[in-house]
Amino acid sequence: MTAAPASSVQWPELLGNSLIALEPLEGTSGRLRFRAADAERVFRAVHDAGFHHLTLVGGIDWVDHREVIYTLWSDERKSYLFLSTDLPADHPSIATATKVWPSANWHEREAWEMVDIHFDGHPDLRHLLMPDGYEFHPLLRSFKLHEPEDLEVKVRHV
Amino acid sequence: MAGDAAVPFVEIEALRSREFIPAAKEALSSMIAEQGQSKLIRPVFNWAGRNSLFPLHWGLACCAIEFAAAFGARWDAERFGVVPRSSPRQCDLMIVNGTVTWKVAHKLITLYEQMPEPKWVIAMGNCATGGGPFRTAYSVVPGVDKLVPVDVYIAGCPPRPEAMLDGILRLEDLIRLRKE
Ligand code: SF4
Repeated sequence: MTAAPASSVQWPELLGNSLIALEPLEGTSGRLRFRAADAERVFRAVHDAGFHHLTLVGGIDWVDHREVIYTLWSDERKSYLFLSTDLPADHPSIATATKVWPSANWHEREAWEMVDIHFDGHPDLRHLLMPDGYEFHPLLRSFKLHEPEDLEVKVRHV
Repeated sequence: MAGDAAVPFVEIEALRSREFIPAAKEALSSMIAEQGQSKLIRPVFNWAGRNSLFPLHWGLACCAIEFAAAFGARWDAERFGVVPRSSPRQCDLMIVNGTVTWKVAHKLITLYEQMPEPKWVIAMGNCATGGGPFRTAYSVVPGVDKLVPVDVYIAGCPPRPEAMLDGILRLEDLIRLRKE
């Protein structure tokens, strides 16, 4: 079966009012902005539309809010799709994608560690690149580069 | 052999191999009787130690490539008796060749503690010396001397193999002067 190209997926019908916007993006089937509260339903629907491969989960700190981006690839449609959603900066939490795409596991750990986004229901949300007990989320814009000596005092794990 | 007193002269080359050890033993014990133990034994140990430094084979970052080159055919650090070993139990020298992150810091300390005494540390490259280009980064230890005592620092990013050999020779000078 040759599936139709991704642009032919009827996202509004598939996702209903979980869909906020579908922005065309060259070379992909677009960037799909969805409501964070409906994350699990959106993940499942997108997965069942043929996007079985999760390439990347990334977090962005926009100061007034955070954004999570999922990059997906469909082997059948030979096409990328970007999912993105906005989270409030004071309580940035979203359902985990690991139940749909197990490969989200380490990506979500990294996004949590670097820009402090909580993934509810994640099986193992602990540090990935930094040592256990590291107290900062270093890719937040509010993180100041410390003098090395400060950092040494604050990292108490050795 | 260091020391001011005259050393009993043994015609080493004239000895047959099975006669060597008894002759050396006799020469040593007569010297110990004359000069006391530590003054004599220490230089012997230092001489042996500095001519057979066994560094830990532990590449951390880009400097490890220069470390490898120094042991290749072109620079051949083994002619100084420096042979990298794969287990810390067999090593007396740790060459920290690369960027030490906080994540790997306690492994570095574990490896250092596993090495038998006496042991030395060379910080190779700017990263190990003071954090290098990543000094203010959130993940990098600003100098490995925050974790273990360092004897010789080698500057460079990365240091050339010649610089590494120079660092090893300087460490040998340090060992020559060791008192206890
Ligand atoms: S000093 Fe330079 S070459 Fe050596 S590990 Fe650091 S960045 Fe790499």
